[in-house]
Amino acid sequence: MSSISVSRQRILSLWLNRLSTDRIVRQGLHDQRKAAASPASSSPAASPLAVAGKHGNVERLVAIDAVAERRGLRLGLALAEARAMHPDLTVFAQDAAADARLLDGIADGCQRYTPLIAADPPDGILLDIGGCAHLFGGEAGLAADLASRLNALGFALRIAIAGTIGAAWATARFGPAMLQASGEERKLAPLPLAALRLDAETVAGLARVGLKRIGDIIDLPRAPLAARFGTALLRQLDRALGREHEPLTPRLPVAPYVAEQRFAEPIAREEDVLAVLERLASRLKSALERKGDGARHLELALFRTDGAVARIAAGTSRPIRNPQDIRALFAERLAGLADPLDPGFGFDLVRLCVLTAEPSPPEQIGFGGNDDAAELDRLVDRLSARLGRRRVTRLVAQDSHIPELASATVSAQVAPDDSDWDAFRAFRDTADLSARPLRLLAKPEPIEALAMVPDGPPLRFRWRRALHEVVAAEGPERIEGAWWSEGGPARDYFRVEDKTGLRFWLFRHGLYRDTKTPLWFLHGTFA
Amino acid sequence: MLVSPPLLVSDAPSEGKNLHPLRQAIRACEASGARGEADVIPLGVPAIDDVLGGGLICGALHEIAAPREPDIAAASGFVLAFAAHASRKAALWIAEDMALIESGAPHGPGLDALGLAPERLVMVAAAKSREVLWAMEEALRCRAVSVVIGELRGDHAVDLVATRRLSLAATSSGALAFLLRSTPPSQASAAATRWIVGPAPSMAPHGPGPPCFAVELKRNRRGPLGAWMLEYRREQHFRLASAHPEPLAQPALDRPHRAARVA
Repeated sequence: MSSISVSRQRILSLWLNRLSTDRIVRQGLHDQRKAAASPASSSPAASPLAVAGKHGNVERLVAIDAVAERRGLRLGLALAEARAMHPDLTVFAQDAAADARLLDGIADGCQRYTPLIAADPPDGILLDIGGCAHLFGGEAGLAADLASRLNALGFALRIAIAGTIGAAWATARFGPAMLQASGEERKLAPLPLAALRLDAETVAGLARVGLKRIGDIIDLPRAPLAARFGTALLRQLDRALGREHEPLTPRLPVAPYVAEQRFAEPIAREEDVLAVLERLASRLKSALERKGDGARHLELALFRTDGAVARIAAGTSRPIRNPQDIRALFAERLAGLADPLDPGFGFDLVRLCVLTAEPSPPEQIGFGGNDDAAELDRLVDRLSARLGRRRVTRLVAQDSHIPELASATVSAQVAPDDSDWDAFRAFRDTADLSARPLRLLAKPEPIEALAMVPDGPPLRFRWRRALHEVVAAEGPERIEGAWWSEGGPARDYFRVEDKTGLRFWLFRHGLYRDTKTPLWFLHGTFA
Repeated sequence: MLVSPPLLVSDAPSEGKNLHPLRQAIRACEASGARGEADVIPLGVPAIDDVLGGGLICGALHEIAAPREPDIAAASGFVLAFAAHASRKAALWIAEDMALIESGAPHGPGLDALGLAPERLVMVAAAKSREVLWAMEEALRCRAVSVVIGELRGDHAVDLVATRRLSLAATSSGALAFLLRSTPPSQASAAATRWIVGPAPSMAPHGPGPPCFAVELKRNRRGPLGAWMLEYRREQHFRLASAHPEPLAQPALDRPHRAARVA
């Protein structure tokens, strides 16, 4: 049987075999604990470090560092036993969320090699480096670069490259060599069956019948194997050997347009970043123009030399291509960041992605035509980038008679051009609606009101500690809640004017008929 | 570009005589050009329009303050009445978050009733007064905007430099800039006019009628000051509020029945 590779993917499997303990050492928690335990003996002799988590009713070791491993500790050992063996063992509680965050950060940093990256929890990352390894001096060069970057940050790791996810995963964890070029079958044969990503039960069952290595099952008849151990076993085997394709699901959507720039010497100044950005945008422009697209959502990814990645996204209200516009957008975005961009030791890779593109017909370059709309959109984009999308809004009419729902505020970048105000005007004129206030309070404020007759307007009321004497009133206009919502009782709205000429919109929540003491609220003010 | 010097030298004796009227003509052109560019929005009240030199001048900053905090609705109504009569381009209302929470956010149907089509309005909420001023300046640089309203609470952060910047931005774009304040400001400002606008009791005999304003012009770069009571109606713009009677109803005999109108 020859192994037929269905796809031409090349998978790099990265295994951070001591992720939890490396995290604790990197955060300096281990040193703190050691110093607290024995301030006198600051011996550099390393003490073992372990992470324990609860399994059933027993605390067991779930991660150990290299020292602990040398001293004979093993994963899965009960914590009490481990403590008995090594009284100087430092133990930390398992923190799966912190590990996941760290893994996510590392995966972000790996984005510099390829956009096709999948997290492989709890402690692995898969990269599809097919077609991009030559940019880093071949597969060996890429692996060496990745390893040196992560080693410098203090992570232990194992890397394997193979034609399938299964083979790369198996080799990274169980294989002897760091790299593997081809010939999955031959290389995988001596590895234990656990390397096929099987559950522990199946592995134990196979071991009972004397099958311990992948080579043991490659040439066995398939039907009896499937009957006894299920089809999952054969599928995993086929996937590892490349007989069945296993797709890699990238953790971030792959952008349709990407431009990037690498630097031998990192850059740190904001002006430099913006200058690079404009250069990247002009490179994107020609690609966008060729397909007749414009960018609606853009992302700027700044890769720091120490592995951290800053991602800054910006949206636009119409598809744009112009590099100057894109630069202006990100200039506002950078200026408006709550915590300014921290370049650390500088950025050595800047990437500009168009996350969402929309068709945008080529523009007639203006003879001073009516480009007011475009001009306004540009202003809205600038303001939204600096202040936030939800702070720049337009009013959109809604088909509702409930005052607070009649006029919705929608981000100006996405608001429709023909908001339904004409429909509202037609409705107002036919229904003979009474006046609506100029300014509406977000939430009606309770007032103390005194009404003369049960269904009449208030005689005087107190709002925000000031007493207002009503001299003129108009109403009531009764507004009922929608029957399908629990809007509570009907509201009787009055437009009242006080002695000084202030005009308010008040309502009585509920009728005297139904409740003993209906509450009064102030909902808005008129000019 | 240089004109060849010999020619100038030969004309030297008559230079003063020829150039003087030329200079005057240029100056006249410039002056009239400047005046022509600066549109005005008349209030429709001759007494006030004369004082302002034709009406509220576009391409300038106007400061409008409410006498007390609760009167801000009247002051905003006065500002929006001008916005409604400015050209049909977009209007921006930039306000501090606190102002929108305390005094209420603009309500579309209410704006429409005042004459400002809600489609024209872009609302901007800013966390700080500094951001309000920044956004106003940005908006004033945009050609597609005809009115920029900046609403500030309290009496802070707007010094002479800030108002000067806003005035210059407004002059260069020709847009109408308003600084709407909840209390009368105490600092000096570079605004073209400064108004104190509060509500006035309405003149209608039955119920609250159209909006009425007690308007005081506190500062005017072009002329004298004054105080008036105004009534605003959407179609007629402003008029002096006096004890005028409501138009009387037609005699009952020809008046179409309401039910018939609906049918």
